[in-house]
Amino acid sequence: MSKRKVLEDKRQKLLTRRNLIKRAGALGGGLLLTGCDTQFYKPPVVRDGLMGVADIMTMASQRMLMSNEQLVQEHDSSEITKNFPVWNQSNPEDEEYQRLRSTNYQDWRLPVTGLINNPISISLSDLKRMPRRSQTTMHICEQGWSAIAEWTGTPLLSVIQAAGGIKPEAKYIMISAYGGWYEGYDMFDVTHPQTILAYGMNGKDLPLGNGAPLRLRVERHCGYKQLKFIKSIEVVSSVENFGRGTGGLNSDYGFHWYAGA
Amino acid sequence: MTKFPKNWIYRHTLNTRICHWVMVVSFMYLLYSGIMIFLHFPELYWGKVGFQGYPAIFKLEDWGISWEEAERLGDRRWGRNYHYMFAWIFVVNGFIYLVWNCWQKKFYLKMLPSREELTVSNLKNEFVRHLRFRRLKTNGVVGYNVLQKLSYLFVLFVLFPFMLVSGFAQMPAFTAISPELIDFFGGRQTARTLHVICSALLVLFVLVHLIEMILAGAFNQIRSMVLGKYEINPEESGET
Repeated sequence: MSKRKVLEDKRQKLLTRRNLIKRAGALGGGLLLTGCDTQFYKPPVVRDGLMGVADIMTMASQRMLMSNEQLVQEHDSSEITKNFPVWNQSNPEDEEYQRLRSTNYQDWRLPVTGLINNPISISLSDLKRMPRRSQTTMHICEQGWSAIAEWTGTPLLSVIQAAGGIKPEAKYIMISAYGGWYEGYDMFDVTHPQTILAYGMNGKDLPLGNGAPLRLRVERHCGYKQLKFIKSIEVVSSVENFGRGTGGLNSDYGFHWYAGA
Repeated sequence: MTKFPKNWIYRHTLNTRICHWVMVVSFMYLLYSGIMIFLHFPELYWGKVGFQGYPAIFKLEDWGISWEEAERLGDRRWGRNYHYMFAWIFVVNGFIYLVWNCWQKKFYLKMLPSREELTVSNLKNEFVRHLRFRRLKTNGVVGYNVLQKLSYLFVLFVLFPFMLVSGFAQMPAFTAISPELIDFFGGRQTARTLHVICSALLVLFVLVHLIEMILAGAFNQIRSMVLGKYEINPEESGET
């Protein structure tokens, strides 16, 4: 219980009233941060038949129980997993990526484009000067494993704010990664305080295998939504122009777009 | 060539029969898709964390199936999609069954053991009778026997809810919705392990259920679950 109290105190510092108003403003205003808005009840593309019905039932029932005031459980630093697994892509075979890596990501830039008021391109040191958040959370893989790490990074919302906020018609944020991965997220996850672009892990720079120089943490989802090796961010109103048009590489492959499980 | 009219009773209502078969189909799919998911990560752990290389309490490798082999056999994409789809069918079906039977007082009338049935000596007799595969004569056949009643109640009100809740405790969304639930199990990996153990208990129940059904007369039993009508003492009605 005392841990929860500490969390609440921390949250209060982060979420002052003024901050909250700014947050809503950053997203063009009028966007609800609770799970009560039915636009957050279904994935961008609903699958056919009973499978699609089950997808909506899963997503809607969980979103109804959630709000963005609710943080995921944070663990004690003593519980941090040693040898955090490296899963999936561990070193993208991408020429551009390898060139950036050879200079320790000095030339790495994150373009934030699309339906946003002031498109920007930010460097790693810019990101590190922006609001920072550290959280010790559990990574849950869809396959079955779980491990705990401390992640440090910039809230995705702060990056969106720095780019002047989204335009009213924006619905999803598509994040692309080196190595060809991309994944879409709705505003319900984008506005969550624990959704961060992490450049640090367990007090150090993000290791190569865990997605250097920058990875996403969307804590209420399975591992396959936690995109590594981030390349660019695009705010969109529709996901149809990406890959097979289902809103992410995982859902293109036939996994559920919503990975709250 | 029967001389005497058969003794038919109406044993299962239409609702019970539909719910039973929907449950059978969804249970089989849940089991199969669960195995498909498990094969893609064929180890079990205890506590909050667990991954390849972390001390496991169960490894399929120890049983002669290597990780690569298991991964080849499994299909987590198919498994995952169908596990969720049939979980919803199972839950909706189970909810209908629960509400209907509570309303009809079926649990109370058919499944709640009486005080006499719950005495130590009766339980012991029944247990020994089951071990010897002896069938009850005459009037005992109509209702459920005490061990049957207890096992049905246990499956319906303990194992099924446990499967559901231990499933929730594995979902990342619940680290936000209710971390207390995950802590209640003692961590995410413990919940996963208990989910698997509980499913093994359900398989055991199904096996015993099938053996009992065959012993009690498979044709008559299956017919009663399909058509509702059940013949009392089938071999006697034709003889005497």
